[in-house]
Amino acid sequence: MRKYLPGIALGFVLVMSFWAAAIAQTKQAAAATQASSTDSAHDLSGVWMLDRPRPLTVVERFWMYELSDEEPPMTAWGQAQYQAAKSSFGTRSYPLAETNDPIYHTCTPPGYPRVIMHPFPMQVVQTPGEVIMLFEYDSVRHQIFTDGRKHDETLGPLWMGDSIGHWEGDTLVADTVNFNDKTWLDRVGHPHSEALHLVERIRRTNHFHLTDDITVEDLKAYTKPWTAHLDFLLRPKWTLAELFCEDQDTFNEIENNETKPAK
Amino acid sequence: MRKRPLGIALALAMAFSFSATSFAQTKQPAAASKASSPDQAHDLSGVWFDDHPRLIRVQERYWAYTFTPEAPPMTPWAQAKFNAAKSSFGPHAVPLVETTDPLYHTCAPIGFPIAYLYPLPMQIVQTPGEVILLFEWDSLRHQIFTDGRPHDTALGPLWMGDSIGHWEGDTLVADTVNFNDKTWLDRMGHPHSDALHVVERFRRVDHDHLVDDITIEDPKAYTKPWTAHLPFVLKPKWTLAEQFCEDEESFQTIDKDAAAPAK
Repeated sequence: MRKYLPGIALGFVLVMSFWAAAIAQTKQAAAATQASSTDSAHDLSGVWMLDRPRPLTVVERFWMYELSDEEPPMTAWGQAQYQAAKSSFGTRSYPLAETNDPIYHTCTPPGYPRVIMHPFPMQVVQTPGEVIMLFEYDSVRHQIFTDGRKHDETLGPLWMGDSIGHWEGDTLVADTVNFNDKTWLDRVGHPHSEALHLVERIRRTNHFHLTDDITVEDLKAYTKPWTAHLDFLLRPKWTLAELFCEDQDTFNEIENNETKPAK
Repeated sequence: MRKRPLGIALALAMAFSFSATSFAQTKQPAAASKASSPDQAHDLSGVWFDDHPRLIRVQERYWAYTFTPEAPPMTPWAQAKFNAAKSSFGPHAVPLVETTDPLYHTCAPIGFPIAYLYPLPMQIVQTPGEVILLFEWDSLRHQIFTDGRPHDTALGPLWMGDSIGHWEGDTLVADTVNFNDKTWLDRMGHPHSDALHVVERFRRVDHDHLVDDITIEDPKAYTKPWTAHLPFVLKPKWTLAEQFCEDEESFQTIDKDAAAPAK
């Protein structure tokens, strides 16, 4: 690794972007995006960041590569896909020049739910008929329709899925189908098929904390439904920054460096 | 042009996306994203669509490609850039394979304010400190901070600019700077520099109508500030659809066709 330390290569360009974003955000000592809904029991609005326990190493602290610490129960097809996936993240990480991560080189959309695992904040805004998740990463948007509509198969297959939701007490239950199969489920390369079906139970446990209990069902890729638990922390002084995937440029630069002889 | 009539090539791959999108939208008889702010006078929320008069010939619709029917007052620098730009739109359209449009081949972000010129809806959502413009095209997001913060030059240069706003009576005055110079100002290839300064006056003239009087100032590209008037109509039954730029693939097909011998 010429100009890049292994640790940095592991974290990839996202690291650079992340620091820039974090600096920009701390510089914006602006008024908070506070809850605005009239019905505060059904108010998920605000800027949220994944909230993980804080172990010692920076890699473990900031990066979430997969939904669960436990290996999901893959089918033979799922296992074959996973073995073929060359991620630059996690325990099996490959050098950047060897990755076949679908978002690199082309900056294709990361899809849902993978975008949740990108280490950038997410803002929730609500209208009377929608809960909208705005991701800082690549300006990605995920709409959950709460107006009573049904799934619409004529929309699919979609990168972010077709998501409808309803409230059960203080919990938003979101049901998402109609995915395409062009994305990885997570950043280490666990697969999913077009049969992916997500059920999320999203609850604001108190003003500053949001939880998402997510059930992944995909009978082509997994032998049975499995679950994960995500925690988010409100960042009242943050606002989303501009962050467009420009990996084409970044990748060209990295590959140019890697094809040069070592110094 | 082998498989594609000229008119379709002119309209670009976007035409396909647009048809699919419109179709999807008319099929969604959903509840409207109605105004939700408690302060009606400062409520711009909803799904909005271009409301220019509908002329018969698409070629006469200047607003599909540029902001004004008259050419803006370009400096020699800008005139040279404009002459060199090969757009696939407007009266000087070139075939798709010859375009130098920065968006094509790479799906680079289109930037702002050109985002208004794409024939897709825009949704406005508001939080106590932000007016957020969500464009259907490529999931683009443009945030106007209304929390009293000043411009932050540490953020620039940005694709969508650094936008702050304040209310003057019933009008939102948005001031945007800190642009990069990688984008065109419009779809015909009029240029802008990183000195671009955009001032917009948004007013909801009645429940169903929004106007944006926009002033373009860029001393490097234009001899004097000039203005344009953008009318929007509320589409209460529409919601934004998923629309990601995937021109890499469209372009490969088109380039392949162009390289094949004529039949």
